[in-house]
Amino acid sequence: MRKSSVALTVVALVLFLLASTAAAKTRVTYWLWLDDPTDTTVQELVEEFNRLHPDIEVVTETIPLANYYDQLLMAISGGGGPDAARFKDWWLGAFYDADLLEDLSPYIANWPGADDVVPNLWNTGMIPGVDGIFMLPHQYITFYLYYRADWFAEAGLNPPRTFDEFLEAALKLTDPANNRYGFGLRGGAGGQDQWLAFMVAGGARIVDEAGNIVINSPKAVEVNQWYIDLYRKHQVAPPSAPTDAYAQVVGAFQAGNTAMMAHHVGSSVMMTDVFGDNVGVLPIPAADPENPATMGTMSGNVVFSTADVKDAAFKFISWLSEHEAMDKWSKSRQGQLPVLQSVAEQDYYTQNEFFRVSLEGGNYAIVWPPLPGTGYVASYVWQNTMQRALLGEITSQQMLDEIAKALREGN
Amino acid sequence: MLRRLNEKERFTPFLLLGPALLLMLLIVAYPLFQALRLSLFDASLLRPDRARFVGLTNYLNVLRDPLFLRSLLNSTIWVVGCVTLQFTIGMLGALLLNREFPGRGLVRGLSLIPWATSGVLVSLMWTWMLDGNYGVINDILVRLGLISQYRPWLALPISLGGVIAANVWQGAPFFAVMLLAAMQSVPQELYEAARIDGAGRFQQFRSVTIPLIMPTIVITTMLRIVWTANYMDLVFVMTGGGPGNASIILPVLSYITAYKKLKVGEATAMAVLQAILLIITLFVYLRLVNRKGEGGLSLYEV
Repeated sequence: MRKSSVALTVVALVLFLLASTAAAKTRVTYWLWLDDPTDTTVQELVEEFNRLHPDIEVVTETIPLANYYDQLLMAISGGGGPDAARFKDWWLGAFYDADLLEDLSPYIANWPGADDVVPNLWNTGMIPGVDGIFMLPHQYITFYLYYRADWFAEAGLNPPRTFDEFLEAALKLTDPANNRYGFGLRGGAGGQDQWLAFMVAGGARIVDEAGNIVINSPKAVEVNQWYIDLYRKHQVAPPSAPTDAYAQVVGAFQAGNTAMMAHHVGSSVMMTDVFGDNVGVLPIPAADPENPATMGTMSGNVVFSTADVKDAAFKFISWLSEHEAMDKWSKSRQGQLPVLQSVAEQDYYTQNEFFRVSLEGGNYAIVWPPLPGTGYVASYVWQNTMQRALLGEITSQQMLDEIAKALREGN
Repeated sequence: MLRRLNEKERFTPFLLLGPALLLMLLIVAYPLFQALRLSLFDASLLRPDRARFVGLTNYLNVLRDPLFLRSLLNSTIWVVGCVTLQFTIGMLGALLLNREFPGRGLVRGLSLIPWATSGVLVSLMWTWMLDGNYGVINDILVRLGLISQYRPWLALPISLGGVIAANVWQGAPFFAVMLLAAMQSVPQELYEAARIDGAGRFQQFRSVTIPLIMPTIVITTMLRIVWTANYMDLVFVMTGGGPGNASIILPVLSYITAYKKLKVGEATAMAVLQAILLIITLFVYLRLVNRKGEGGLSLYEV
């Protein structure tokens, strides 16, 4: 009898202690996607944060990127969803339009890490014509060009720096009888990023400095026509180009079906594993080498306006953007380009050709502007209209008119 | 001896049915009602709380949209193509499996594998088999001399054909197994009697097998029509409706409208229209089958 009452007291005490510690902690839910789901770096970072901040408990949920946007939409529209989340610049426009994003600038003003962020990268979290910063920069990529150094050497070609040299090399290296093509054009899912890289390198812009949509300007129509002609007129891309997505483009490059492909540093380890020195890396060729440009995309972190624990949520996402955590994340298998100057200056980045070219691109990279329809264009309209243009169903002008309309109206 | 039920007894069946009815109302009627309601609103998925009542505008917009009509046409090709080919191949398979041959049990089991394979897996398998750079189908066709150069089947305007091929592969075993089960329940005496009357093999098939397995044929094709019309996995993964709009079908279009365009009201209107069209199709189908008088099946029996 006595023994059991002691046991009962102990149990009650333990329960009380557990309950009180649980009540004292601020619980922050954070959603993210992982490029390599088997990598445990992020989990380790979260555990470290929780250890360093006994008053906060960050709970993460990992969702594959393919379903990420849909699930986030569903959760938010259902009145639930996380407090903070990993976020792409494409989605800012639509979420800002729906008043779902918290302005982080008051928090950033008090954040000691802010001075270390590469200054021009703050733009990726801003909305044209609006005061405030809605996404904290974290990891970014810029597009560059992979080329088969061995094939170029065999054919006596120099790596292309301009559009003309690019086309010339592509034509020379194309040999349909041997199922070999100059360029792995990506017309399928995800192809909008490499397309934008070539568009801006050709001198086209999505918005002008005043924020007007100019993606259907005569200049843009001309560059887009050049891009479409790679497939339709010059036939330097595989016949499957209209529907080729990442897997097909990488597969064809690795199988020796294509001589060049555009991608980012995320695939550099895999490329060197397969090709060793036979793969080279170049900035995206430019129409005018004096004015290089490429496409960049930022994966940052946001706090939702629906969150109850905004302070704690910002504490966590800003901690992720501080030196130690940034260094660890950037060097993991999830790693992209670090947004902190103190991290990017390390030899690890400056001595690696793939990182070097990528970081150089950061100086002139152009991102998708956060317009209401950017998410819709990036996830559907671009692919739909590009494929129709590649099949010859619509003209370059019609394609860009549709994209401009979708960007402007969000539908 | 019959007697009138007293009050309590008359109430009992309803009491017993109650829980099931309630569940049906919750699971079927409530979402249905919500869908009909939502289709009358201009609602964005991001802010459903800002939805605006717009009456039938969504329906009018959808019916005026050339893309909807294109999807409707593609959906028709998709359903008719898939179900017809699956039925034909399934029927041939059932006839084969209905004969005695060594290892029949094993073959019957193995033939079910495609049906048991998940849609996404089937999509990925067929995407690579149809690949334009190193797909095995291109290789076979080139070796057979049917084509001279590899073709990117899913990047051509006829891409829906490639997806139909994948679906036929996946769905034919369903027909084979269902029809086989029905064939095995046909009494052998009827075939004996037919043979005594001088019926040949084809006549036996036409006058004995077909009428007796007719109820199964009707039910399985109906199920397949409904499933195929709503089945978007293959199209979504293999082509995403592309290239361009070449293979877009109604469920994919309403998915894109809801999740990419974020116009959830319009997407629901599409789904409701598709449901209505499907009900009409099935109604007409049943009327046609009934008119033939074979099997004399009614909607009630189905």
